[in-house]
Amino acid sequence: MGAGQDVGRSCILVSIAGKNVMLDCGMHMGFNDDRRFPDFSYITQNGRLTDFLDCVIISHFHLDHCGALPYFSEMVGYDGPIYMTHPTQAICPILLEDYRKIAVDKKGEANFFTSQMIKDCMKKVVAVHLHQTVQVDDELEIKAYYAGHVLGAAMFQIKVGSESVVYTGDYNMTPDRHLGAAWVDKCRPSLLISESTYATTIRDSKRCRERDFLKKVHETVERGGKVLIPVFALGRAQELCILLETFWERMNLKVPIYFSTGLTEKANHYYKLFITWTNQKIRKTFVQRNMFEFKHIKAFDRAFADNPGPMVVFATPGMLHAGQSLQIFRKWAGNEKNMVIMPGYCVQGTVGHKILSGQRKLEMEGRQVLEVKMQVEYMSFSAHADAKGIMQLVGQAEPDSVLLVHGEAKKMEFLRQKIEQEFRVSCYMPANGETVTLPTSPSIPVGISLGLLKREMAQGLLPEAKKLRLLHGTLIMKDSSFRLVSSEQALKELGLAEHQLRFTCRVHLQDTRKEQEMALRVYSHLKSTLQGHCVQHLPDGSVTVESILIQAAAHSEDPGTKVLLVSWTYQDEELGSFLTALLKKGLPQTPS
Amino acid sequence: MEQAEDWLVESLRLYQDFHAFDLSAATRVLEWIGDKGVFVAGYESKKKNEILHLMLPPRLSAKENQGLFPERDFKVCHGGFSDRAVLELKHLPDTRLLVTSGLPGCYLQVWRVEEDSDVIKAVSTVPVRKEVGDLWSRLAVFSSTPRVLHGARLSSLQVVDLESGETTYTSGVSDGEELSSLQVLDGATFAFCCISGRLGLVDTRQPWAPLENPGQSPGSGGQRWCAEVRVGDQGPGPCFSSLGADGQLRLLDTRDLCHPLSSVQCAVSTPSPNPELLRVTWAPGLDNCLAISGFDGTVQVYDVTSWEGVGSRVEPLFTHRGHIFLEEGEGDAAPLVTTHSWHPCKPRTLLSAASDASVHVWDWVDPHATC
Repeated sequence: MGAGQDVGRSCILVSIAGKNVMLDCGMHMGFNDDRRFPDFSYITQNGRLTDFLDCVIISHFHLDHCGALPYFSEMVGYDGPIYMTHPTQAICPILLEDYRKIAVDKKGEANFFTSQMIKDCMKKVVAVHLHQTVQVDDELEIKAYYAGHVLGAAMFQIKVGSESVVYTGDYNMTPDRHLGAAWVDKCRPSLLISESTYATTIRDSKRCRERDFLKKVHETVERGGKVLIPVFALGRAQELCILLETFWERMNLKVPIYFSTGLTEKANHYYKLFITWTNQKIRKTFVQRNMFEFKHIKAFDRAFADNPGPMVVFATPGMLHAGQSLQIFRKWAGNEKNMVIMPGYCVQGTVGHKILSGQRKLEMEGRQVLEVKMQVEYMSFSAHADAKGIMQLVGQAEPDSVLLVHGEAKKMEFLRQKIEQEFRVSCYMPANGETVTLPTSPSIPVGISLGLLKREMAQGLLPEAKKLRLLHGTLIMKDSSFRLVSSEQALKELGLAEHQLRFTCRVHLQDTRKEQEMALRVYSHLKSTLQGHCVQHLPDGSVTVESILIQAAAHSEDPGTKVLLVSWTYQDEELGSFLTALLKKGLPQTPS
Repeated sequence: MEQAEDWLVESLRLYQDFHAFDLSAATRVLEWIGDKGVFVAGYESKKKNEILHLMLPPRLSAKENQGLFPERDFKVCHGGFSDRAVLELKHLPDTRLLVTSGLPGCYLQVWRVEEDSDVIKAVSTVPVRKEVGDLWSRLAVFSSTPRVLHGARLSSLQVVDLESGETTYTSGVSDGEELSSLQVLDGATFAFCCISGRLGLVDTRQPWAPLENPGQSPGSGGQRWCAEVRVGDQGPGPCFSSLGADGQLRLLDTRDLCHPLSSVQCAVSTPSPNPELLRVTWAPGLDNCLAISGFDGTVQVYDVTSWEGVGSRVEPLFTHRGHIFLEEGEGDAAPLVTTHSWHPCKPRTLLSAASDASVHVWDWVDPHATC
């Protein structure tokens, strides 16, 4: 991102099955005052944050994701766990301290967190490994996935029972020279929260960016100029070095390339620590030799900066706010043949930010004015997911719903439709401060009594894993347990008596014969008609069909009419209704 | 990928600017809107295809004060979904309307690029004469009023006014020769090219009586042709350029279509694997230059200044090989350039798209520094 463009500040609050998790705690890089910090009063108006939040998760070390963390934990107040990956834990405090120095020492700000606060904040950190399931408490668990983007960046899965959320932070779906691509398994979360800053772009290919970089460097050294590339030790330095080395080899160039020693020590140290976080190629290289052992790239000595002729130098720090890179910059700035290539975003207040904004006269210490005649270039190598990448990730994770953050809703209607159509999921795009509520259908585990289970098994049908099976039982909810038992057992447990429901229907038929003969005829008729059922003629003259009772009686007033009483229980409702309808049609005329 | 690295190093010398993008699906369409935006569209059959309105990276716009770090990416400004393959797309100048043609070919689809959102919405259809087989209507648009010229054959040529829905012109002929390209020249004239190589200029104010060449005799190998007329006042010289699937390129003067000014053999591998993709375009910002594509994964630029006679072999001024060397795919089939287009303002900048869904924007360095 260049100067003048808004970098979002990331801070998302998720409420899942009664647990509250804060995702990232970023600083807004565009503001100088309190607007740069997230508004934590959104979380809770009163009451302590530590009581309200179950945990905080930080995705990676960029300031727009962790810059407000010490402010949040030490100045607003939070004592719960803060989760992040090991590299993030190692690198975060360095960046925070750098940032603090610039804000307080350079810009003289008050109401900023102190060095001690950074240290105290980091004491609350619990570092996690990739793909390690971490139990935050007995219900909430989290897991980190590789996100690419920068060293140590992770996507996090937050799970409570059967509900889960995957938060991407910043990620990248295409591998580059020193980091792999983001990856998540088919975890099917209820919700996937994805960064969408670059959702509406189609990125220029890596090769073309590299080409542009090489072209600039080559043109400058060809005309005898010097190229300064300020880098942060763990950023793109390694990648750019490899690129230049390859190019120099092919073109058989003799122009010297240097990197400052501070850079190599730090970079070596961190890459050794976190070798598993880089990609295959780097790992192979590292195993074979020292990371910074190049044929064409040598260690820098301060004195070299005054040497005549063309050269390329990588130096720290990346924003030109102090140290060796600033020293070199001051020496070379006055010559228009020279070039400085800024490979990343610069914080306000730094020399890097000023020159990227177009300032050409800089006030240095002692009121000295430095005129910048050298060419200023900006190369963005930072890797974010574009529309294609987002689609890929959604395809991998298979969420029930998708939520896009940091995009502009109006400009993303097409992407929303695309996601909804291709994956048949709902896609949300909330604005800052907006709350999105997602209905979920959690699966509730219910214990089934052994008796009921045995009875179902006795029915003879084997249970099939994929086929739904209908069970009849009574669900008893007591405290927080759910049990499914047979009705009889339920009645017993609850101390209730079973009630029987019985229906009786009167069917009037015109018949002059006697009741007993009537009953016999009914019996014969039903016996022949209802082949599959048990039809019986009882000694007392009544007829039974299964458990349904039919009795013939004379009409009290009309001897020519007979009344058939059909009686059945609630369970035999279907058969009872059928019989009644059948009998209403009358008895067959032919004698059986 | 040694070759790719080599080519990339070469490219430092060959190109001023070079950008490569990967769309999610290949396009056969590159239609300009103004000089900063371009439309692309998918052409897969039996699938939902996307139509995208892309803004070029600011770096590539005519030099304006754009700050120090223009981004390098394409921006997706608008997008829409088409149920069928989109084989041709035209934007109606000074409107927010688009018209597309594809398969199945019994209608044209009219779209509107929405103003307050990023959606391209389907608004209406224009029925066209149903054809047998895989024929689809070629399109050309008029600039004064929203009228569309369309047809798959000479006999089905029509002009429809999108506002009123009325058909304002019909060719009225029974000649069923298949068309390969249509081009509007002004408010009343258009040019056509049939797949047989027959060329013509038509005045819509008169009954059908085109200025044309007699057409190829059936025995000329049955190959396929396409053509383009040079527009704008480029001075004297050839106006019509016609490209055949066997690599033949003919230049003709519109005043005498029966006798080509020259006919040359281009340095391409022939025959074209998909002659429907053949394309020849005149450079709007260079004198006597044209570009061709459709034979393989390259785009070739030729300077026609010294061409004359029949049959001579010509060499291109420049060949863009980016699509071959930057191919990211699994390497089964070599990519084929599906279409190309010149930048309306920057004289040596072209856009090209290939079957592997890549889109390149390139500004080549003139080896002779004359053109």
